[in-house]
Amino acid sequence: MKWITARRRHPLAGYVVVILALTLFGVGYAYLAPGADRAEAQTLAAEATADDEQTDYALGRDIFTQSCASCHGDAGTGSQNAPDITDAGAAAIDFQVSTGRMPSMNPDAQMPRKPPAFTQDEIDALITYYEAEIGSGPAIPEEVPGTAPERADFEDEEAYEAAHAEYEASYEAYLDGAEDVEAGMKLYLTNCAHCHSWSGEGGALTDGKWAPELHEASPRQLYEAMVTGPGQMPVFNDMTITPEEKQDLIAYVKDLQAEPNAGGIFDLNRIGQVAEGFIGWTVGLSLIVACAIWITAKQRAHD
Amino acid sequence: MSRSTQAPKALRGAGNWIDDRFHLAKTGEKNLRKVFPNHWSFMLGEIALYSFIILLLTGVFLTLWFKPSMAEIVYDGSYERLNGVTMSEAYASTLYIDFDVRGGFLVRQIHHWAALIFVSSLVVHMLRVFFTGAFRKPREINWLIGVAIFTLAMLEGLFGYSLPDDLPSGMGVRILQGVMLSLPVIGTYVSMFLFGGEFPGHDIIPRLYMIHILLIPGILLALIAAHFMILWHQKHTQYPGTGRSNKKVVGTPMFPGFAVKAGGFFFFVFAVTVGLSAFVQINPVHLFGPFTPTSITSGLQPDWYMGFMEGSLRLFPNWFDINIAGYAIPTGVLVPGLVIPGLLFGGLAAWPFLEAWITKDKRHHNMADRPRNAPVRTGLGAAGITIYGLLWVAGANDIISETFSISLYALSWFFRFAVIIGPFIAFMVTKRICLGLQRRDRETLEHGYESGTIQQLPSGEFIEVHKESSTDTVHVLQSKEPVERIVVDADGVDDNGVESPEKRSLSGGLRSRLAHWFTKDNISFEGVRPHSGHHLHHGGHSEETAAEQPAATH
Ligand code: HEC
Ligand code: HEC
Ligand code: HEM
Repeated sequence: MKWITARRRHPLAGYVVVILALTLFGVGYAYLAPGADRAEAQTLAAEATADDEQTDYALGRDIFTQSCASCHGDAGTGSQNAPDITDAGAAAIDFQVSTGRMPSMNPDAQMPRKPPAFTQDEIDALITYYEAEIGSGPAIPEEVPGTAPERADFEDEEAYEAAHAEYEASYEAYLDGAEDVEAGMKLYLTNCAHCHSWSGEGGALTDGKWAPELHEASPRQLYEAMVTGPGQMPVFNDMTITPEEKQDLIAYVKDLQAEPNAGGIFDLNRIGQVAEGFIGWTVGLSLIVACAIWITAKQRAHD
Repeated sequence: MSRSTQAPKALRGAGNWIDDRFHLAKTGEKNLRKVFPNHWSFMLGEIALYSFIILLLTGVFLTLWFKPSMAEIVYDGSYERLNGVTMSEAYASTLYIDFDVRGGFLVRQIHHWAALIFVSSLVVHMLRVFFTGAFRKPREINWLIGVAIFTLAMLEGLFGYSLPDDLPSGMGVRILQGVMLSLPVIGTYVSMFLFGGEFPGHDIIPRLYMIHILLIPGILLALIAAHFMILWHQKHTQYPGTGRSNKKVVGTPMFPGFAVKAGGFFFFVFAVTVGLSAFVQINPVHLFGPFTPTSITSGLQPDWYMGFMEGSLRLFPNWFDINIAGYAIPTGVLVPGLVIPGLLFGGLAAWPFLEAWITKDKRHHNMADRPRNAPVRTGLGAAGITIYGLLWVAGANDIISETFSISLYALSWFFRFAVIIGPFIAFMVTKRICLGLQRRDRETLEHGYESGTIQQLPSGEFIEVHKESSTDTVHVLQSKEPVERIVVDADGVDDNGVESPEKRSLSGGLRSRLAHWFTKDNISFEGVRPHSGHHLHHGGHSEETAAEQPAATH
């Protein structure tokens, strides 16, 4: 221990202690944080895929018991922590897991969108298990393009490029298939904008909840959100808004988001008037007042 | 400046020609040599003037193509995303200005940014006038004109914002109609009258257009002209300093010094406005889409100058809504929508007269007050800014809630309390700061400034050497006008036991109590001679008591 005593007063000693302490906290947090069991589930799932023998069903069961049952119960009937999901349907499972909301970290709070904990294959396996054992409900709208393929899911570049091109084509085809811009706009501005705002930027709701921004949602997730009504959001089933109308609506949202900002390179996040007023004061008026100070100050030296 | 140089012959010829006919040389000379004080805060009003000119020019440009019509058409134009959409001609013509008129998009954005800067410069200009007491006699009329300009500018902006008939336009008009409807008894009639029937009808945009391009700009122009003529006649106030007095203005002559500066300044204002318009997107009506009565969106606000009204509407609870004989009186809209702005503008308009009534000050004032020397007024101003600012921020409560992940309810409750408590705190803190600054002024006046040099006296004592302040500083410090402290005791009798006649009337009693409140904390500079303190003349210690005394002056 002598060397410690000797170096105790070294100028760098303080920094070393702080760094050690931070590392300790970091490692400790990584162990204790709720992310841990998700990571575990992920490795488990990865091992499982490696095993060719295992069917989708078994993989799905493992994922469900590992990551979902603790809150939703072994039979999906819910607990005091989480709702019954027996009638949520495949669309809800796909939406909740592919947007990273489930598995939840904190059953008391609204879940933000996150990178999903499982790959699409694993989600499909989970759904196979769900439909076999747990329950049923709205189905996944397979004809609507889902999430773009990820490079990491492919062995070689070529397969990825091909899958990506195919995805792009179906995406374009879906949006172009929408016939009525006006209907899409009216549907969106009548049914969705009062929560998600005109630009899909999202907005505050009562009681500490919020409607998230829609920029990252794939057309399929948009569709699934409508048919399942996650959290505070109402359900817009295929009776209230028909699949064709949904297509118009989704095309409107996606086209609007792809729209360049014709008015200038700074779009102020399309937040609108609050940001404009802020810039008007902090940039516009401030620059002008600074100039006034400059003009009058220069003069003073002469008189 | 070489005034003696002769003008070129051609110019002289023309000048003489004009002068022979109109005899302008004399008046011209007098006006051209008019003196303008040099201080940046005197340029704030000019920003308003210049942005108003920009608004006039760009506005006229926009009228060339804008069609103020609510007739429905199916869009078929350069902006392909909206092809086939039914919309009003007003909205379609705005798209036309944006996408088909060369430079139209830029001009529309200049018009809008200039509107934001116009109103904000009015606000800072007004604050300057308020805090320096420049609204006092003889300038009360110009203050009233200013309040009228401010009110009209807000309305002008609101109506302009409503013209393109896009989503935010329509929602703004809808709120306007809601506020109108909240008027007891006459509400529905007023609304039917303005809209020519049910909301939205087909008349509102042509009507707002007429008001926006003709009526209000015309009135504004007249008011601005009156404002400047009065200013020209009365001259600017000026800050205290050497050689400046209530009778004499010091500054740059109108020509050439001030004219050159003002001209340059105009171009700077123009440059900033155009710079913003070129790079920062404002009110992207093409993205919003046209208004339909069923459309509604979160995350939309009015332009900033209507923000405080939005905030007061959002904060005010509906607990006091009442029903009288079958007539609903929605105080939850009426109070925040009409009473609160009414109080704000009414208060602004009444203040010069209120202050004169309270202080019984009937003198002419051409010297600007230093804000610290009028602590109660400055404190009240700070309280007003606090109320306005909090209401304004509350108008953006959903954006704040979303951006910073704060619960919307928590935020609203915070603002409800803050709007009530905040102004009191602001008043007290500001007043204390003013008084503290006054004390320091008195000390500087008496003892000079602290030079930072420490000296050891033969006796062994350490002192900091004070140096004499410059004459200019002394002039500034001495500019504080003596304030007579008005005392009211409990029963309102003076030293001789005689009840003052004023006390007997209700308003008189109120006045004297207000006057007491206005003056009770005054820090008197009476008897303070510049640089008489002991730090400068290391003599005896009798000054210690001299320094105490003035604090007790009545
Ligand atoms: C930490 C507890 C927790 C875990 C773990 C969890 N959930 Fe949830 N889940 C919730 C809560 C709480 C809600 C309700 C969320 C809301 O209303 O916003 C919910 C909602 C759902 C819903 C939507 C129900 C509906 O009616 O729309 C689905 C589907 C769902 N979870 C599936 C899953 C799946 C699949 C997993 C495993 C991958 C999982 N959950 C893991 C707590 C959890
Ligand atoms: C009452 C308000 C409300 C309305 C109306 C509403 N939503 Fe939502 N929406 C929400 C909330 C709240 C969530 C987040 C749910 C959660 O995380 O539990 C959400 C989530 C979503 C998501 C997921 C976003 C993401 O990237 O994770 C999509 C997509 C969506 N909504 C689309 C729509 C569409 C399309 C409509 C109109 C048909 C609509 N919403 C109407 C409140 C609303
Ligand atoms: C006092 C000053 C003025 C203010 C504060 C003001 C404000 C506004 C605002 C905020 C808009 C909405 C702009 C947008 O679409 O983004 C607008 C539109 C318009 N203004 Fe003004 N304005 C003023 C003076 C004028 C004048 C003097 C004219 C014409 C003589 C004018 C003509 C127009 C027209 C035609 C429009 C609609 C065109 C469009 O929106 O594209 N304005 N104004």
